[in-house]
Amino acid sequence: MEAQIKFVLNDEIVECFENPALTLLDFIRKHKKLTGTKEVCREGDCGACAVIKGEINENKIIYKLINSCIYPIGNVNAKHIVTIEGLNQSEFTPIQQAFIDEAASQCGFCTPGFITALTCYLLSEEQYNYNTAVDAIAGNICRCTGYMSIRRSVNNLIDSVNANWSHKLSRIDNLVGLKIVPEYFRGIQNKLMEISTDVVKTIRLNEGKRIICGGTDLFVQHPDDLTDSENEYVSDSIASEITETETEIHIGANVSFEQFNRSDIIGLYFPGLHEYMHLIASLPIRNAASIAGNIVNASPIGDLSIFLLGINAKLILVNNKRQREINLKDFYKGYKSLDKSDDEYISKIIINKPSENFYFNFEKVSKRQHLDIATVNSAMSMTIEDEIVKEAHLSFGGVAPVPLYMAKLSKDILGRKIEPGLLQYVVDDSQNELAPISDIRGSKEYKSLLVKQIIKKHFNVLFPEVFTAEVIT
Amino acid sequence: MSRKVIKSVTNLYDKKIERLAEVPDEKLPPLKNNKELKYIGRGISRIDGYDKVSGTAVFTFDKILKNMAHARILRCPHPHAKIRKIDITKAMNIKGVIDIITKDNTEKIDWYDGDTFIFDEHLRYQGDEIACVAAENEVIASMALKKIEVEYEILSHVTDKMTAVKEDAPKLYDWGNISPDANPAKYNRGDYEQGLKNADQIIEEEYNTQFVIHNPTEVHCSTVDWNGDHLTIWDSTQGIFAVRNSVAAALKIPQNKITVIKKYMGGGFGAKLEAGKYTVMAALLAKRIGRPVRITIDRKEMNLAVGNRPDSYQRLTVGVKNDGTLTALGMTMYGAMGAHRDGAGCQWPLRSLYKCPNVKVEEYHVAINTGRSRPFRAPGHVQGTFAFESIIDMAAEKIGMDPIEFRLKNYAEVEANWEIPWTTKLLKECYKQGAEAINWKSKRNKKAGEGKGPVKRGVGMASQIWWGTGGPPAYATVKLNRDGSVHVLSGTQDIGCGTYTILAQVAAEVLEIPVERITVSLGNTDEHPYGPSSGGSMTASSVTPAVYDGALQIKAKLMSGASALLGVREDNLVYSQGVIYSKDDKNKKKSIQEVVRETHEQILVATGARNARPQGVMLNSFGAQFAEVEVNLETGKVKVLKIVAAHDIGRTINRKLLENQFHGGIIQGIGYALLEERVIDHYTGKVLTTNLHNYKMPTIKDAPEIEVIIVSEGDDQISAIGAKGIGEPAIIPTAGAIANAVYNATGVRIRTLPITPDKILNQVYNIG
Repeated sequence: MEAQIKFVLNDEIVECFENPALTLLDFIRKHKKLTGTKEVCREGDCGACAVIKGEINENKIIYKLINSCIYPIGNVNAKHIVTIEGLNQSEFTPIQQAFIDEAASQCGFCTPGFITALTCYLLSEEQYNYNTAVDAIAGNICRCTGYMSIRRSVNNLIDSVNANWSHKLSRIDNLVGLKIVPEYFRGIQNKLMEISTDVVKTIRLNEGKRIICGGTDLFVQHPDDLTDSENEYVSDSIASEITETETEIHIGANVSFEQFNRSDIIGLYFPGLHEYMHLIASLPIRNAASIAGNIVNASPIGDLSIFLLGINAKLILVNNKRQREINLKDFYKGYKSLDKSDDEYISKIIINKPSENFYFNFEKVSKRQHLDIATVNSAMSMTIEDEIVKEAHLSFGGVAPVPLYMAKLSKDILGRKIEPGLLQYVVDDSQNELAPISDIRGSKEYKSLLVKQIIKKHFNVLFPEVFTAEVIT
Repeated sequence: MSRKVIKSVTNLYDKKIERLAEVPDEKLPPLKNNKELKYIGRGISRIDGYDKVSGTAVFTFDKILKNMAHARILRCPHPHAKIRKIDITKAMNIKGVIDIITKDNTEKIDWYDGDTFIFDEHLRYQGDEIACVAAENEVIASMALKKIEVEYEILSHVTDKMTAVKEDAPKLYDWGNISPDANPAKYNRGDYEQGLKNADQIIEEEYNTQFVIHNPTEVHCSTVDWNGDHLTIWDSTQGIFAVRNSVAAALKIPQNKITVIKKYMGGGFGAKLEAGKYTVMAALLAKRIGRPVRITIDRKEMNLAVGNRPDSYQRLTVGVKNDGTLTALGMTMYGAMGAHRDGAGCQWPLRSLYKCPNVKVEEYHVAINTGRSRPFRAPGHVQGTFAFESIIDMAAEKIGMDPIEFRLKNYAEVEANWEIPWTTKLLKECYKQGAEAINWKSKRNKKAGEGKGPVKRGVGMASQIWWGTGGPPAYATVKLNRDGSVHVLSGTQDIGCGTYTILAQVAAEVLEIPVERITVSLGNTDEHPYGPSSGGSMTASSVTPAVYDGALQIKAKLMSGASALLGVREDNLVYSQGVIYSKDDKNKKKSIQEVVRETHEQILVATGARNARPQGVMLNSFGAQFAEVEVNLETGKVKVLKIVAAHDIGRTINRKLLENQFHGGIIQGIGYALLEERVIDHYTGKVLTTNLHNYKMPTIKDAPEIEVIIVSEGDDQISAIGAKGIGEPAIIPTAGAIANAVYNATGVRIRTLPITPDKILNQVYNIG
């Protein structure tokens, strides 16, 4: 079951044979004895194991943060992986110095994860500011908790990096010059080029084997099954792009959450995209998790499944023999049961380009504002002509065994006028299609209530002049 | 500087703790106020910063030894069962499995004060230990766990304390489910019934608090190594001597045959105050297989088996006169200990925060089929303060008085349980400065929930009292090298609070040398004199005076040496910046390096001791926290905008580290108030929140603005340093302040923690 793996770990080329399901964290800590990378939750919820992943894209290295505890080594071929050991230099890096100066490390166990995440932020963002830098470490848990001093460190760091940045120099020259990363980073591109020719990965789809893109939920739920079974790890090895035709947007199955978030095409039609995506997982998870994976995982509260149901997305399913198109709303048959045969896989997700009078909103309520699983999430889209609903799609997560498309309601409101009375109608009608259960995220009564509240929120956000606070209460 | 041995007495809860300790014979000269000091009080950066930011700090979790085997524990999947049979044959046949221990092939070793054994056939909770496997690596060990065949007799279980106290509930022990130590634990002061009769208003309320889990980032773990008959244990622990003594007793070996080492540790918060079964298992396995053993537990085990804050049901009664005078305070409470005996009460805030002549308390500590409770940052006070400060808020509202005014009206001038004065109590100053900082007058809604629109804002506050304040025995050795550099050694631990740094600051202050010239070594039972376990806000308050004493002794030795070398009487010498001068002739001088060198000693050594606690007075820390919150009544979401923490904690030793502690306590308090909860399905008896997916702790995005105000200087009745301790005070009032602010913002009183959106909406929309 072992596969050949070749990649660059810090400044060293590593070649080995490993079970591709071995997590990168175990490889780093146990095989390479690099213990600066820590293990805390082993499910991508704390960032203690965060490492930097770089890969060549159109002749430059793109760096992203990943959680190594749920990242299979089968996905690291031809990549540059950087741990805290690969950042240390003869003196403190400015990030490390900022942490020391502001006492941003208490017990210190989470600290390497924060340092790594901030380094990756400087390696990957186009512009640096305090708010986006804090977003970049929102997936790192400090239990001690030194968040205030970490914030101060980040603030000082960003100020000093911006003040000392030379716009004449390349990013890597700037970062090496500022001692944010060691000198050897300059040579990484050549190293990756050198090994990339050796690493030709043959992807064997259509063999009934499980195809794993990100695996961010699978590695949490079933790590042992993955070790014991043969799977294809296809993260970044299958083209994954977002493209457009005249009437449609095509999303490659392997597109990651963060790619989706940063897509200009998606952003054009969904101006609130970044705000929605900030409610969806931490950055390292969004970097690894794929959209098709989210759909196939069929979690009743899958955030992007709900998003895509709310705009009535379509899927292209393929196998050896054929290719077929299916509406996402028809894809879910029951709890974790899909209209998909074992040898089929999603090759593409298609959404219709919204027209001018298109309205869309996404809402998520969870116990914790950030980095939490939704109690209830929902998306609503509408096309309005002359104040009349021409097309509508409403989805809810957490209130049924599947990501729920409100088929009846979406149909019932067609032809209706956007006027105050519509709200009560939708609220009442919505309750017919729900089947929430009580669980650790809330009682069924509470979830039913949330559905009502979220509908009010949708209407208030989309048509604030009609559905004012007075209309709602 | 002579020494004496005393019986040191500490009042802690209702216990009078007596310990023999060697202490300085005379009271040491107290430090001056911070503004006159050079090192103490400053925001000096951590001296162990490098190791932490570079990832080179070797935590116990990172401790790797040659030829080491890896151990994992098989735990009971059922909440209550008996073992009929264990068959390890299949597991032993797996390649790479080295050894497996169970109740069948080990001696019975008493554990948890005789409640159970290291391996018991009676399994009392999901997570109870059944077997321990040693294997070549962790993957094989985990595989072997699945191949151990256990036949269980499933017993009926009870995982809810109010069900457990019923007569027909399944019983965990022959004494039943209510601890013989608290069935009930009673306290009476004055005449409670008469107090109620004297009241104009009586408020009765019920409060519930949840179980929360410490979840330090570093899991509990040990690496153990036998060298002949000597056992070395690297342990992730808050108490190296506690571990040494427990393991020695368990293995029946002398304490000098065990060395316990802890250098860096990824948090504890109370969960790592005692030796774990896992350490004993690792030691047993290592002995049997003749190899070092590393044992770790995983995040699921962390959430099942190594401690939690007990929950509570509290029925509180407050009797109050219309002028605001408290006439009676009553409490009946039930707290779940989990499957083994441990404290689960929370009466102390009610008994000690305010002046009230008539108090009645009944506490029941209940055994249930879940993991055992352990002290968690301010045990009891966090639960108790939330409920008590909530009902005090309601009492104030009932008689139409401002909550701060109400608290001042009932301000306790003397300690109410023993009727003795405090060394210092600056709580009034905390109220004053805290209220100003939060802008109490302008931000507080006159009528709760009066703000317009669905997004409401409000402020609330709560007070705090804690024990802390330290005491003997605690020792520190100070060594001065020939080059003037210094070692400070103590058998306490730095669990992330910054003990390494503050001890260096104290030595630097006394010897007047830079902190950079001082190395601090902690956490080794062989090499260091006794230091206390790191808990209860006792480390800084206990150990810094010992370092102070040790450094003063070194200074005295230097003065004697210089006197002999210079031929000048000691009282004619002056010590300044590491140089000793003759008062009369500044050219007559010796540096400390010269004194050590010329007296032909390689090093000067002195062991300092913590002074005795003053008698006939009470020692406490105090504080008040003020919260400003925003509540969205459409979604039920609560956002904490700002916390002001104003505290009387004695001397500030390091402002940066002090803020670390306060921020940490407050943010954990926000987690307690709004997010964290161990959820149990009572039907199956299983814990549903066994990972960080489901057990939610605050992230950087949940942290509000925090302002820390310290109203106190050193309390020199406590010690020459005068620190009271800050670890626990920081978390105690946070949840109460937030709950009161939520009420002020919305008019909705949440009586069950955590304050989640569903509870707010359920009340607003009345869906129960």
